[in-house]
Amino acid sequence: MLARIAHELFWLGRNVARAEATARMLDGIFSADLQGRPDDPGLRLTWRSVLRIMSAEQPAQVDRDSVLRALTLDVDNPASVVACIGRAREGARTVRDVISAEMWEAINTTNLTLLEGDLSARLRKGPYSVYGYVRERSALFWGLTNRTMLRDEASAFLQAGGRMESADMVLRMLRVALPQPGDDISWRDGQALALLQATGGFQAFSRSVPGAPDALPVARFLLFERAYPDSVASAVHAVHVALERADHAPSRSEPVLRLSRLVADLEFKQRTSGQDADLARLCEEVQSELALADHDIADRYFAGAVAPGIAIT
Amino acid sequence: MDEILDRFGAPHRHAAALIDALEEMGRDELAAAGRRRDAIFMQQGITFEAGADGSLVKDRPFPLDLVPRILPASEWDHIKRGLAQRIRALNHFIDDVYHGREIVREGIVPWRLIVSRSHFARAVHGIRPPGGVYCHVAGCDLVRDDDGTWKVLEDNVRTPSGISYVLENRVAMTRLVPQLFNRYRVRPVDHYPRLLLEALQAVAPATEGEATVVVWTPGPHNSAYFEHAFLARQMGVELVEASDLVVRDDVLYMRTTSGLARVHAVYRRLDDDFADPLEFRPDSLLGVPGLVRAYRAGTVAIANAFGTGVADDKAIYHYVPEMIRYYLGEEPILENVRTYLLSDDDVREEVLGRLHELVVKPTGESGGKGVFIGPHTPPDELEGLADLIRRDPGLWIAQEMVDLSTVPTAGPDGALSARHVDLRPFAVFGERIRIVPGGLTRVAMVEGSMIVNSSRGGGSKDTWVLEAGDPAEDGATQSTQVHDVVPRMPELRLGGWSDQQQQQQQQQ
Repeated sequence: MLARIAHELFWLGRNVARAEATARMLDGIFSADLQGRPDDPGLRLTWRSVLRIMSAEQPAQVDRDSVLRALTLDVDNPASVVACIGRAREGARTVRDVISAEMWEAINTTNLTLLEGDLSARLRKGPYSVYGYVRERSALFWGLTNRTMLRDEASAFLQAGGRMESADMVLRMLRVALPQPGDDISWRDGQALALLQATGGFQAFSRSVPGAPDALPVARFLLFERAYPDSVASAVHAVHVALERADHAPSRSEPVLRLSRLVADLEFKQRTSGQDADLARLCEEVQSELALADHDIADRYFAGAVAPGIAIT
Repeated sequence: MDEILDRFGAPHRHAAALIDALEEMGRDELAAAGRRRDAIFMQQGITFEAGADGSLVKDRPFPLDLVPRILPASEWDHIKRGLAQRIRALNHFIDDVYHGREIVREGIVPWRLIVSRSHFARAVHGIRPPGGVYCHVAGCDLVRDDDGTWKVLEDNVRTPSGISYVLENRVAMTRLVPQLFNRYRVRPVDHYPRLLLEALQAVAPATEGEATVVVWTPGPHNSAYFEHAFLARQMGVELVEASDLVVRDDVLYMRTTSGLARVHAVYRRLDDDFADPLEFRPDSLLGVPGLVRAYRAGTVAIANAFGTGVADDKAIYHYVPEMIRYYLGEEPILENVRTYLLSDDDVREEVLGRLHELVVKPTGESGGKGVFIGPHTPPDELEGLADLIRRDPGLWIAQEMVDLSTVPTAGPDGALSARHVDLRPFAVFGERIRIVPGGLTRVAMVEGSMIVNSSRGGGSKDTWVLEAGDPAEDGATQSTQVHDVVPRMPELRLGGWSDQQQQQQQQQ
């Protein structure tokens, strides 16, 4: 298939996944923020942390409402939910002939709905409905993808993009939330609970891990647990599987080999790293390895045309 | 008395910010939020059966009033200490009843009264559960007098329900009316399932690895099934019915796809009577034969322990302040509502003369069943009641009417008016007693009514316990500067077939 189309599909997947992850994160942190957590002196998922997660600018004064507005409805902010959906919609329009009509309609309607009406009033009253909508529409999009799109090379790039993005978002949150080496802030369950809620994984965690949702078990779960679809390990695995399917010669493909090594590495670390492992460092390593994989993907499939991407700082 | 507004209609200091926020919202917006609430509760299945009218069972959304109730930190601290004290004493009492009966020998509580209680369980005489804890989960009903004093109205130490609504109410409030939280620091409640799980694991018999905990429900037809499923889901444990459980060689197992799996602790949501047909009611189809044997052998922990119901009885309630003095050597922090035991001839005659101004309750019931409120009961019914009492005085108690405190409550049109409330805080007793901040505030939705039971048209409120030093309470602002070491994050990539797009734009 055309390199350009593969690239559009990859980024369509990424944008839809990013919109959903951002919505879940803001929703989870918003409800945790409304209530006090006396036992947890160093709550790390502050609104400033949210800006760091999204690599957004750090104004001197950070308050809840301005962060919510900037990351949800600000069309001029490329990291906002509406901007992600807007880019996804443009991408989907470009590849309308490749994806199914239902998928196109799903994403196009989402974009229209987010732009119409007085969304900022809804956001002021209670952002839940806005985030709930984005979550549902994202689920609809991926559900339609599974039901109506041919499982060909095109769908492989779409899936690879979506899963690549969810791995990246979870890693960003983990890196900001995990204690840094030399930190003396004792990390307690309040933050972990907020993190779990921010990823939508609370129930999966409590069914899978016996014991309290303390920081380290939660971080290990989000990083390693292959049975949880949104963990880093299962997302990386899914990207690997998708590219293996799309690649004409997977056994000689840089990105496939790199991802395959990363999958094995994560599995190895899960078994060998003890309770005192430096997960913050591990997250950083995984993140940079994924960034390299991202470059490999651009080099190999997208003719290297956009390797560095357009960065925002 | 009203908890939000003073006699002149001005808000108390801790409530001023709430009243401001409500005024800013306005009546229409509050009413609109109420309609959204009903829709969301129906979608999420947060409902209860309003009773079967005809053949159709109609679910109603759980009635949550959007105006919260606020408890300042100091007030909550008082309640918390009082409850912990009371639960410790009750636990001592249960242990004593099934072992040494010291309190009987001291002549404080008559043995005749204890053994005649319907929830007294002869079958568990001499059994001491791990840690000596019997009432792992307790929910005492508290009310406030005209002068604002907190009093205990009932002790629920069998299977108190309502905690799921406390958690769901809070989630709904943060979604529907987040603006009300703006100037408060409200203590969270969502750690309750974790406290419960930790308590259950703490009392489970020793095992390698984690103890297996289950929630035992009578089944989907039980009116509290929503709560059973909620707790199982939140704790990440299995929700079992009797047919899932089996006792082999005095050990409890559940049937799984990979054979029998050992169960170490059971949070049961049904009464003793139904738990084991070999020991309690032989006609129970909901029970597990041999469960009491396994319990006696110490291979499984049951929460609450068998026989705990004896302390739930309303005639026993009368003696709780004495228990506190006797077992703990302390003065009760929370008082009882003035109660009359009707087995005493003089007391009974006095009460029978005052039935029209007292509340009369059957001793072994809960949930407001069979309660007569003197002033609201027609005289002929009161005469019938007097006959019932004379026939079997031990089954009834009488209490003074308490003029419950009120909190402003929103009507369907968003207008506020005062409604009476009570409070059911929930305590968990594992290694120690932990109490979730606040609890379930139940509210009578009819003006002047004191009936708060949700089965009889009562509603509920989110109960906010403020952080100590909440700015709204102290009138001072505080800023917490969080030390924030944050790693360098790579830039957020945005993709885009940049060159080609630019070329296209140039050509346009």
